[in-house]
Formats: sequence, structure tokens, C-alpha cells
Amino acid sequence: METLIALTLSSLVVLLAAHTFLVQNRFHATQRLRTMAQDNVRGATELVAREVRTALADGILVAGPRTLTVRSPVAVTLVCSRQGVPNLDVYNDGGEAALDTEEIAGAARRDPGTGAWEAVNAPWTALDGSTADPAGNCAENGADTTGVAGSFHRLALSGSFFSTNPRSGDLVMLFRETTFEIRDSELEPGSLGLFRAAYGDPPVEFATGIDTSMRFRYRVAGGGYSDTVSAGALASIDAVRLTAAARKPPPTGGAADVTFGWTVTIPMRTVR
Amino acid sequence: MRHARCRIRRGVTDPRGGFVLVFVVFVLFAISVAGLTGYLLVSSEHELARYSGQGAEALTVARGGLERFAAEQLGVVPDTVSYALGRGIATVTTRKLYTVDPVTDMYYLRSEGTVDDIRTPDAPARRVVGGYAVRRRRPVRLHAAVLITADDIDVTDPGEILGRDQQVSLGCSTGGPPHLTGAIARLGVTEDDPSAVRGNPDYELWPGGWSGIVDSVGVRWDVITDPEFPVDYENTLPDFGALPPDSFPVIRYTGWVSAGFSGRGVLIVDGVFDPTTSFNWDGIVLAGQIDDMVEGFVDGILIAGLEGPNPYASIDFRADVNYHSCYVHAANESLSYLELLPNTVFELN
Repeated sequence: METLIALTLSSLVVLLAAHTFLVQNRFHATQRLRTMAQDNVRGATELVAREVRTALADGILVAGPRTLTVRSPVAVTLVCSRQGVPNLDVYNDGGEAALDTEEIAGAARRDPGTGAWEAVNAPWTALDGSTADPAGNCAENGADTTGVAGSFHRLALSGSFFSTNPRSGDLVMLFRETTFEIRDSELEPGSLGLFRAAYGDPPVEFATGIDTSMRFRYRVAGGGYSDTVSAGALASIDAVRLTAAARKPPPTGGAADVTFGWTVTIPMRTVR
Repeated sequence: MRHARCRIRRGVTDPRGGFVLVFVVFVLFAISVAGLTGYLLVSSEHELARYSGQGAEALTVARGGLERFAAEQLGVVPDTVSYALGRGIATVTTRKLYTVDPVTDMYYLRSEGTVDDIRTPDAPARRVVGGYAVRRRRPVRLHAAVLITADDIDVTDPGEILGRDQQVSLGCSTGGPPHLTGAIARLGVTEDDPSAVRGNPDYELWPGGWSGIVDSVGVRWDVITDPEFPVDYENTLPDFGALPPDSFPVIRYTGWVSAGFSGRGVLIVDGVFDPTTSFNWDGIVLAGQIDDMVEGFVDGILIAGLEGPNPYASIDFRADVNYHSCYVHAANESLSYLELLPNTVFELN
């Protein structure tokens, strides 16, 4: 009798403990999946938001529900001296060391009258000038070069690079051109992935486990949001809305997928 | 006592006694490990989210600092300015990069926003934005010694308006034009004494509307009269003796200003300017409206009626206003401002 009671009680304790362990284990697995889904969503959002936010006017080049191409500045420089047609001495905060030259997809000139940018694609090697004395030339035109001589650099643009040659006092932007695409994941087959492609480079998958509901939407000034914007209206986009969602299959059968998502509106604040 | 010893002995020799205990301890350990792992996972996620939020906050602080600096800047451009914005600090640094012409410069503005976290005091969230601005060094366009958007200016004794430069060798080599028009009104300028209004020409009539006249002056009237817009002195005069002689501060008065004081700089009257015989000013006087009787003495220029059509159509002008290029030049520099170029602000990191 004593043995029976002891066995029953110990069985109960073992069952309770095992049950608690299993519940905890399931909770932990679900929590891990939720965290992964959140990571995917957060990563995707950060990746897109950062470049959309920095895009200047006319910075959206392709606007579709699953594809977005953005032109955003790597640096905006000021021409403080022009030495002949091809050589522009510019001020660039931090100099060449601060530039991610691999990312540079071209240069754009700001029309001082309208503020619009005229962009031309070219690699950094085609833009980089000689190592003359740009700081000295700029100082002659009134630039304060004290302590920042390294921030002055020479760009060499051919006479026909832009429709109008930049003059001293003009702004020249060095830009990147990035395409974001939501398509079948290569890293996690069966789900979607967010791919990022720098200009001229193949796309790289940056976020996996993306749900089919993820998409881009666009707000045109004076209008509502739409999935697609025609080429003629791209310049009037003033905000991009990203519906980011991730989905993970459950740790055990019979349970619903673990999903996480949010909708983020990214105003193009530099477009003023 | 005997009975207790017997129980202890029996427990030690019972072969099943430790099994449940060991199992439960093992399961509790496993649960603890799982719980701890879950906690670490969630807390690291929370930390990541927090850092991400602080980064976004730092960016907002940096942008806010840049915009604020460009909007509030008046006069000499400082090298560095810091603002406490929200939970962060924006440090704005400036650099002159190009002289477009004698009255226009190009500047680079860099704003670094930092948001501290007491848990990681050595590594605050930090974001940097840059942008370009044009500095309008002397924004007030000089048309006349006296410009009033009233219908008539009637110059009566002892009033005198001289548009010819009165500066006499003060070492001012960068003064304005040597001669201005004497007086400008909408419909008429009359004088008791034919030599009371002198200039090049003596006077002009600008019959156009008030807004056209005001636009031609180049004064950002709505900005500099905004109570939130910081000026050097508000409704009070500085101790001019304590200021360097080349300092021409910006002073703003609000309401009906019966002015009987002396001073120099830019006097902004956001209300009705009513100068008395003891008023004496070197520099620029800008008034929203002006009383129908004007007295006193100005070595510089007087522009009135910037608020709207002047409530008094005809002005009995008994003041002595002499254009003085040096004073006007110095006062005009005090009104210099930065204009952030649209579509040029970008993130650096």
C-alpha cells in the first residue's frame, strides 16, 4: 500500500514536471520563431527605410508593389573651384575616405534655378580626378579650408557629362542606385525574400521568411496610396509605405504559422 | 528517541528515495535553462529595438538641429552651435565654402545628433546629416533713405531727408552705394524747403500695392517679427557703452513705440513707430507702421509700413534722416541670414 501511494505520487510529480517542461519548450520554440520573424521584418524595414528616407527629389526610379528602385546620395558635394572643363574641385565632408566608392552609381548636378537633379550613371573610377591641390584652389574662392584640407577632392567629368557643365558654387551629388525586390527566397525555399541590388551588381538576399502580403505602396503628392506609380508621376512621390510581414511555420504540426508584420510609412523628408 | 533513529536509518537504506527528487531537480534545471535562454533572446531583441529607436531619434535630432540653426541664424555665422532637442543634443558646425558675390556666400552645415543612454554612456546613438545653405549677407535692399508705404510724405521744418552718403572716412571700405534716392512714397513727396529732400534722385513715387513695395525691400518681415524668432534684444536697449563699437545689434520692440532713445543697430518695431524729437539712431529702422508725425534723427535709413498699408495715409515728416553707408552696411550685416537650399540635405552615416 505504501509503495502504491509512493508510485502514484511520484508519477504525478513526474507528469506535472514533464508537462511543464513541454509547455515551456513549446513556448520557447514559438518565441524563437516570433523573434526570427520580427528580425526579418525589422531588418527588411530598416534596409528599405534608410535608403528611401535619404532619397532626394526624383529619387524614385521604379515604383511597383514588389520592386522599388531608389537613387539616394552617397554624398552631396559643392564645386568650389573649376579648373578647366573636366576638373571640378569639390568639398566633400570627410573626403574620399568617407565615401563608399563601390556603391557609387553616378553623379548628378543640381540645377541652381529649379533645384532639380540631372543624373548620369558612371562608376567612381570614371569620376575620380587627379590628386592636385583642390583645397588650395577652393581657398582662393573663399573656402575655409582650415583643418579639413582632406575633405576637398577633385572630380574629373568630361565636357559632355552633363547637359550643362557645373560651375563654381553648383552642387554635385554622388549617388547610389539600389533596387529592392520581393521574390522567391533562395536561402529559405518556400517563402519570399527581400533582395537588394546595388547598381550593376547582382541582387543579394537580405531578409528571408517574408510573407506574400509584403509589398510597397506609394503616396503621390495630393493623392492617396497606390501599388504602382507611372513613370510620369514618379517625381511626385512623397512617401513610401512598406507593409512588411514575415511568416514562419509552426514548431509542431497542427498549430498556426507564426506571423509578424507592420506597416511603416516612410516620408521622403529630404524632398522639399 | 529510539523511534526517530529507527526512521532515519530506514530512509537511508530505501533504494527508491532519491529517484523523484533527482528527476524533479533535473526537470527544473532544464526548465530554468529554457527560461533563461528565452529571457536572453527576448531581452537582446528588446535591446536591439531600443538601439534602433535611439538611432532614429538621433537622426531626428540631427535634422531638427540643422533646420533650427538655418531658421534662427541671424548675423555672424558661428562655427559651432549646440541645441538640446528632446532627449538628444544636436551639434551644428558650419563651414564657408564659396564666395558667390560680395553679398552672397555658400555654406556647408553639418549637424550631429546624439541620444545618450544611461546604460551605455560611452556609446550614444549618433547620426549625422549635412546640407548646404546660402548666406544672404546684406539682405535689405537699399532704395532710399526713407521708404514709407504711405500715400504722401510731407517734409516740414525741421525735417530733412538726405540720400547722399553722409559717412566721413570711418575706415568703412565696404559700405553700400554712395547715393540713394531721398524718399519714396506711393503717391507724393512734398517739401516746405526745396532742399529738404536730396538724393539721387531726390524722391520717387511707387504707386504699386503695398506687397510689391515690401517685396522689393527684401526684408523677411514675417520672420523677424515672429515672437519666437530670437533677436539680440527684445523690448529693451543694450548698454551700448559695454558693446564693441563695431557691434550693431538687432533690437525688437512690440506695440506702440513712442521712441525717445538713442542707439545703433537694427531697430525693428512690430507695431506703430512713433519717434519723438529725442530719438537718435545709427543704422536701420524697420517699422510695421508709422505714426502720422515723425520726429528725431536717423543716421542710416528708415523703412516703414511693412506690416500692411500704413494706417496714416499722409505723414508729417519732421525728422532728420541722413543716409550713412557705413552704419547701414554694418546694420545690414546684422540681419544676414542663411537659406537652406532645398533638396540638398543628406545623411552622412
